[in-house]
Amino acid sequence: MSSIIKIPFGPQHPSFKEPENFMFKVDGEYVVDVTPRIGYAHRGIEKALENRTYIQDLYLVERICGICSHAHTTCYTQAVEEALEVDVPPRAKYIRTIVTELERIHNHYYWLGIVAHEIGFETLFMYTWRDREIVMDLLELLSGNRVQYAMNMIGGVRRDITPEISSEIMKGVTVLGERMEYHKRICSDERTILTRSVNVGVLKTKDAISHCAVGPTLRASNVKRDVRADDPYAAYDEIPFNVVTYDGCDVASRIATRCDEVIESVEIIRYALEHLPTGSIEVIVSRVVPQAEVVSRVEAPRGENIHYLRSNGTDKPTRYKVRAPTLANLTALCKMLIGGYIADIPIVIAGIDPCFCCMDRLIFVDVNNDETWDWKGEKLRRYGIKWYKKQ
Amino acid sequence: MSSLFKDYRDIVERLKKEIGSENLVGYEIPRPRRIWFSVRREKLIDAIAYLVGEGFVHLSTITGLEGENGLEVIYHLNKKGLEASLKVEVPVKNPVLPTITPIVPGAILYEREVHELLGVVFSGHPNLSPLILPEDWPEGVYPLRKEWTHEEIKKKLLRRT
Repeated sequence: MSSIIKIPFGPQHPSFKEPENFMFKVDGEYVVDVTPRIGYAHRGIEKALENRTYIQDLYLVERICGICSHAHTTCYTQAVEEALEVDVPPRAKYIRTIVTELERIHNHYYWLGIVAHEIGFETLFMYTWRDREIVMDLLELLSGNRVQYAMNMIGGVRRDITPEISSEIMKGVTVLGERMEYHKRICSDERTILTRSVNVGVLKTKDAISHCAVGPTLRASNVKRDVRADDPYAAYDEIPFNVVTYDGCDVASRIATRCDEVIESVEIIRYALEHLPTGSIEVIVSRVVPQAEVVSRVEAPRGENIHYLRSNGTDKPTRYKVRAPTLANLTALCKMLIGGYIADIPIVIAGIDPCFCCMDRLIFVDVNNDETWDWKGEKLRRYGIKWYKKQ
Repeated sequence: MSSLFKDYRDIVERLKKEIGSENLVGYEIPRPRRIWFSVRREKLIDAIAYLVGEGFVHLSTITGLEGENGLEVIYHLNKKGLEASLKVEVPVKNPVLPTITPIVPGAILYEREVHELLGVVFSGHPNLSPLILPEDWPEGVYPLRKEWTHEEIKKKLLRRT
């Protein structure tokens, strides 16, 4: 006999920009339907941006996300610079690119640790997070901050890269590249990882396209789409790099895609440092932005990030719209979860790189028997690990 | 560069033929990889279906805003880096648009977002329940409309309690 059970999933958690709540309908071990409810950390940033000057907005945009803050400010400054018809000096463009790639390395190392933790592979979690310290230190050396680097200004960047910093970054990224080669090898041989990731959270190519997925999630479903290559910004039109794709369409492919992306990022940083143009790092710009309508896109670590600006000739925008990659991947995520096991929920959700601690609290409700029981996210994680041990 | 823009103008011409030139209110090609269209809302579905068929299969997002002439909804579609933004004007008094979810399933959350923050109703959408704002948010308060300033919203929320 089968009975459909409804499970509310989430939403409370303190540390991420997008806490989410998922209402699951399960039949035995299978997920049959899922409905997302977001907005638990809706701060009204878009409305707030309309009421502040462009300079103040820069600080607010920096704080949209704790991890990809540089991607957001790059998108923002690009939009405002295009409206102002200002050309940023080449050196500033290269520095933006270097920080973007360091941020990507930071994000992917961080994510790999989360994935390892979700499947109960704590050793890998410790290793990746130890290695992540290297990139955090590099970012601190370069910008003065471990998070929220505040490197972008409208018209350029805030700090220059000295030859000493350059050689430190070179040394650091070489280690990061080598370490990632090692992690990649572990992820492709280790049975614990393969059992939990191969054919888990499958998103077919055609579904990935029709559900408008972005970033590594899309590229792991064998779609070669990357804003850096398709719609180049900063210095990406001058730097050679490969767009990584895998055709497994599952969590294993998402892991492989991100591992390879880190290795690509290391190459991009190395090239950018070797070819760093000379000259100034900023231009002085007007505080008043003429009437314009601009769409700005960047490839954030988690995928395509798109901002829309309409300016009106004053120092405040009429409308500023932000769409971060997690929202784009949410519809695709629901598609991945349907038909999968309850035990796979944590790893599939972590697989798109959203807020992992979404699963802070769960209430399982058996609609037929009026039974309710509470599950903390931690308990679900353990349940998943145990369930797989029994198989 | 001019040959590139010629390709873009060809897309515009074909769209004109598809929906009728009187329904294409305007277009603009400000720089490489950007096209802006403005179409009458009656022809929205035809225009989206045409662009999707043309290869603009990725919907980056949907922007809603209140401009000088009422509400505007902008669909940002993408084909290999070429961003086509399709704009429709929606009157404040009757803010109804047909849903594009049968053509682009990925639009489902973006339409809900515009519905919630600006009060645009997407007819035929499977589920327009609240997505972003709190469950007890007062009805008829659309925070991104210009009449709802921070002060007005605050007043409304205080009155409620």
